[in-house]
Amino acid sequence: MQSDREGSAPERPLVSVVDDDESVRESLPDLLREFGFATRAFSSAEEFLASDCVGQTRCLILDVAMPGMTGPELQQELIRRRQAIPAIFITASRDKSVRPRLLGQGAVECLFKPFSDTDLLDALNIALRAS
Amino acid sequence: MATTDLINILDAVEVPILVLRGDFTVSWFNKAGADMFGLSPSDIGSALRDISALAGLPRLEQQCSQVITSGVESRADFRDGDKWFVVRIFPYKPGDRQVTGTVLTFTNVTAFRSSIDQAIYERESTKAILNAVAEPLVVLSADQRIQSGNRAFYTMLGVSRDETQGLSFYELGNGAFELARLRTQLTEMLADNRTFQPVEVDHVVTVKGKRTFILDAHPLSFPGHSERRVLVTFQDITVRKQAEAAKDLRSEEELRRSEAFLAKGQRLSLTGSFSWKVATDEITWSEQLYRIFEFDQSVPVTLERMGTRVHPDDIPMLNDMIERARAAVSDFEYGHRLLMPDQSVKFLHLTAHGVRDNQGRLEYIGAVQDVTQRRSSEEALAKARSELAKVARITSLGVLTASIAHEVNQPLSGIITNSNTCLRMLSADPPNVEGARETARRTIRDGNRASDVITRLRTLYSKKDLSPESMDLNEATREVTSLSLSELHSKRVILRHELADDLPPVIGDRVQLQQVILNLLRNAADAMNGVEDRPRELLIRTECDEGDRVRLSVKDAGVGFTAQAADKLFEAFFTTKRDGMGIGLSISRSIIEAHRGRLWATANDGPGATFAFSIPCRRESHTDAETRARQIL
Repeated sequence: MQSDREGSAPERPLVSVVDDDESVRESLPDLLREFGFATRAFSSAEEFLASDCVGQTRCLILDVAMPGMTGPELQQELIRRRQAIPAIFITASRDKSVRPRLLGQGAVECLFKPFSDTDLLDALNIALRAS
Repeated sequence: MATTDLINILDAVEVPILVLRGDFTVSWFNKAGADMFGLSPSDIGSALRDISALAGLPRLEQQCSQVITSGVESRADFRDGDKWFVVRIFPYKPGDRQVTGTVLTFTNVTAFRSSIDQAIYERESTKAILNAVAEPLVVLSADQRIQSGNRAFYTMLGVSRDETQGLSFYELGNGAFELARLRTQLTEMLADNRTFQPVEVDHVVTVKGKRTFILDAHPLSFPGHSERRVLVTFQDITVRKQAEAAKDLRSEEELRRSEAFLAKGQRLSLTGSFSWKVATDEITWSEQLYRIFEFDQSVPVTLERMGTRVHPDDIPMLNDMIERARAAVSDFEYGHRLLMPDQSVKFLHLTAHGVRDNQGRLEYIGAVQDVTQRRSSEEALAKARSELAKVARITSLGVLTASIAHEVNQPLSGIITNSNTCLRMLSADPPNVEGARETARRTIRDGNRASDVITRLRTLYSKKDLSPESMDLNEATREVTSLSLSELHSKRVILRHELADDLPPVIGDRVQLQQVILNLLRNAADAMNGVEDRPRELLIRTECDEGDRVRLSVKDAGVGFTAQAADKLFEAFFTTKRDGMGIGLSISRSIIEAHRGRLWATANDGPGATFAFSIPCRRESHTDAETRARQIL
């Protein structure tokens, strides 16, 4: 059913989710599809980099803290590869100092889990306008 | 001129007699005179100087004329060969008329003379001997005056024989000899030969300054002489006395020092000592013991007086102790309290050793230490330790709050996202009911997930009291690691588990053991903070250990520790972290030791360190182990 929708609307922009938390990988893609995006979910930065989605992804939704390569590190890696993608960071941390730091490094937005659907949609709109 | 009878008598006298006229011619001689001088009756009228035998008396004529002139008897010594004579020259006075001649008698004194010579010789020898004796000697007369002394005696006092002859003994040496003991003894010796006990005399003024002597006396008596004398000898003991005095002074000083030392030691160690003679109840206390009991030192201590200070609750124990001590020689040791007048309580520790003296009387010698301070320190330490543990727990909790929030926020995030999706699916035209049902199911699942997190947290932190229980160390470990996972992830730590399947249960306090595991995990993660050149791998492993024990180890690939740090790792407030309090490992070790276990650290062959603990597992009967666990915790 999911692939049908992706297949029937190839023009939809691709939003990739990278998060080690399974519940996020399960719930977020459904919401993104409801928003009208195509979506792929990855459990780690390494998995995303190894996939064929890097070039097609219009926006990244990135978990900050992940085992192995972190969200911000993935962002920096893409910049280094000259494949920068607008990134919305999501974090379960309560550390408010994370947000200005990430925005300073070029993030579109930093959302604290749990976040509302409208906040996410607003951030996505900004990200897609930017790209 | 003389009757025949008289001549006969004079001839019988064996003393030679010569009668001379005024012109020194022989007028008469007796038979002994004729024999001695070889005279015959024809020699009457011959001159004195013609008698060859009298040639040894050249001044005889002169002496005779003096006797004639003065009318006074004269004497002369005369030697004839080896014989000695005393010549007595008497005036010859016929009737009342003038002296007209002399009568000479020749008394043979040869034997007498030689005995005198011998006596003189003996005297001189004795004098030489006495003078050669270094020890001063003096002979006192019966009235205790100086008769004579040897050279050493005069030299010692710096006086001459002449100036002291006849002086009272007690005037010498600046009157130092004027001692009742000396005078009485000398008087008694002179009176009835009583024996003399040597007398020590100080401050005798001599040419060498003031000296100390031991005076001894020996009676001198001569057969046929009624007068008694004493020989007094002087032994100079000044040097010996000075040495002894110096030694006394030294030992006195040493004694004083060691007493001061002991008193100081007692004061510093808050320990008093006592002796108790059981038969008489005679009690001797050291100063410090008076101080401990706060008793006035001038009042003697009695058992009754001690009783006034002993805490009322401890009096039965004290009485019991006293009774037992009286009954038999024993060593005893016990603790009791004092209730001071200001209602403060002192804790004392008493040890005593029983001995019997040579008459079999029982005496106890002991020490009493005031352990109040130590006790309160111990209490304070225990309190501080438990507070510290609480602080550590709160600190860990504080750090954990963030990761707890993280753990809870993950499923919450899922719930909200799913709910949003669900609403959007239902609001679509046409509503995507199937999708909405799927998201609702996921919402429920995430809700349960959040609930599980809360349950784990409650397990970990809700318990107030220590409760030893039979527990699965693997399960406890999993609970801790699942709660720490996000914190570990944020530090980019890759956690691996190697938990033994057949791990027997252990008896212990679950919360406390989880605290230890959490602490080891966090230390391991912190140790790898700066590591960039290798994976930040953390391995947590459980396994069966030797001797019915279970071991848990946490191996990191961090900075490790130096040999110097190894000794201090488990000391409170030792830390290699900039923001660490350094109490984690110290408390962890206390907890493990309370579980009859051991916590240690080893450096890895490669980078990093391994911290491990080993605790007994539950192989014995359940109740036994739990009882014991309750005792140790």
